[in-house]
Amino acid sequence: MHWHTKRKHPWKHYALWFILPSFVFYTAFVILPTVGSSYYSLTSWDGISSNIRFIGLENFREIWSSSRVHNAFYNTLLLAVVLVVLENIVALALAMIVDQVRWLSKLFRSIFYLPVLMSGIVMGFIWVILLNYNFGVVNQLLDLIGLSAWKRDWLGDPDFAMISIILSTVWKSAGYYMVIYLAGLQGIPKELLEAASIDGAGSWQRFRHVTFPLLAGAMTVCIILSMINALKIFDQIAVMTDGGPGFETETLTYIIYKVAFGELRQGFGTALGIVLFLIILIVSVIQVRVLRGREVEM
Amino acid sequence: MSRQKRLVQDGILFVVTAILAVVFFFPIFFNVMSAFKSNGEILRDAIALPKGLYLESFKYLLTETRYPRAIVNSVILTALSILLMIVVIPMAAYAIGRTNKRWTNMMYVYFLLGMMVPFQVYMIPLFRELKMIGLFGNLAGPVVIYISGAVGFGVLLFTSFLKGVPVEIEESAQIDGCSRLRTFWQIVFPLLAPCTASMVVLQGLGIWNDFLMPMLVLPSGQAKTMIVEIYYFVGEYVSRWDMIFAGTTMSIVPVFVVFLFLQKYFIKGIATGAVKG
Repeated sequence: MHWHTKRKHPWKHYALWFILPSFVFYTAFVILPTVGSSYYSLTSWDGISSNIRFIGLENFREIWSSSRVHNAFYNTLLLAVVLVVLENIVALALAMIVDQVRWLSKLFRSIFYLPVLMSGIVMGFIWVILLNYNFGVVNQLLDLIGLSAWKRDWLGDPDFAMISIILSTVWKSAGYYMVIYLAGLQGIPKELLEAASIDGAGSWQRFRHVTFPLLAGAMTVCIILSMINALKIFDQIAVMTDGGPGFETETLTYIIYKVAFGELRQGFGTALGIVLFLIILIVSVIQVRVLRGREVEM
Repeated sequence: MSRQKRLVQDGILFVVTAILAVVFFFPIFFNVMSAFKSNGEILRDAIALPKGLYLESFKYLLTETRYPRAIVNSVILTALSILLMIVVIPMAAYAIGRTNKRWTNMMYVYFLLGMMVPFQVYMIPLFRELKMIGLFGNLAGPVVIYISGAVGFGVLLFTSFLKGVPVEIEESAQIDGCSRLRTFWQIVFPLLAPCTASMVVLQGLGIWNDFLMPMLVLPSGQAKTMIVEIYYFVGEYVSRWDMIFAGTTMSIVPVFVVFLFLQKYFIKGIATGAVKG
């Protein structure tokens, strides 16, 4: 095949044809149903019957007054705040350690990243077993070090179920944000840190006044991503608690699934979906505004 | 700082890091190790190492259950979706990145919008739509959903990578009369290889590990994907932990092997996707 053979005129409207397939897929199977959800949210559709009844804002009124939804809403926000804080602290710490450690740094980086590769279902299952009352490793360890009094049914107690979900999620995701922080750390010129040292800055001061401000870009990205992922958390809950005990550990994503496919109230589920979407939208806009402001230009 | 003091500091940091690494690695090690223990062994002493290489759970899963079919499904879904994504998405990103027109810039924003929408928001209308066009309850459904869902991320990844690819070669090819389509596939696409690799590993990982959508879309009463079957095992084989461990091990080991060889693409993909923000 040679360049000169066929067409003398390169495609004039090539951009249109190149974009079209993506446009069709994306419009048909992401945008259309997203727009469509605003219609279903105004109905009492069960997901099966062909008869769809329009009920106005009834679903949203129910969302406003249902204590089960309020609990899921509270859990979602709790998870979002706690996970963002913990994941970012752990990820930043891991990144700094991996960046500084003198031997086997690559191996350590890979190990901290490994949990990221696992599905939430597999990871949730491992923790279900580690936390099992009778046979779990956690309770066995407590026996071993003489703290038998601390043993409990971790996932059966609402407070500890939530804590277990949080800690296992931090374990699973910290490595992901670590990679982003690590890229940020490696972008900081060594001369800056050396200059600070020569000026007499201790290691905390170097971190506080040089490293930390220069990581603001990486931090913006990590905070936004970890927040969005926390708001979407689902798989762990499916395996670890199924939203229980009772409805205690339901989040918005989980309650949507439960009402839509467990209770066949898909109209109501869609309305909840719209609320979740609005929350994510508002949170992202606020975050971008606030966080971009404190970044340092290099 | 004296050399000795320095060495002590490095030593302390190394020990701390090693302890943390053990904490992070233990649950994974525990999973794989337990897959080679009988159920009795696991229940008697969860922490103990396996006495021998107990392979019965693997044998049972692969001969007596529908797990083999689920493995095939996972492989087909992942491979097919990834392949089609590569055919469809880089082209769109190329057109957007290389033509600086108002409508292509608008397309860019339009594609990125979808990254904000969680699947739970649009799944109900989407399933109804799929039922109408006959894509619900077969393997084509998830493939179509995966491609569509990856457009935003893919366009973001490829357009940012394209900025670093020089235009001159394409221009001279065009002057020689080469069509855009051939210019793209023969000249530009090979230059995008690192970016394509990142997309393959990151999207592949997401599809391989996906749970909710395949569970709902694939036909009930038949094998679905590995992850979905593992979820069902947890319900069905409540007290057969050996079985579940064998299943999870079979799902994570291939991922670890791929990671071992393509590590840098996982890391680069995350960093590129992230820096753009």
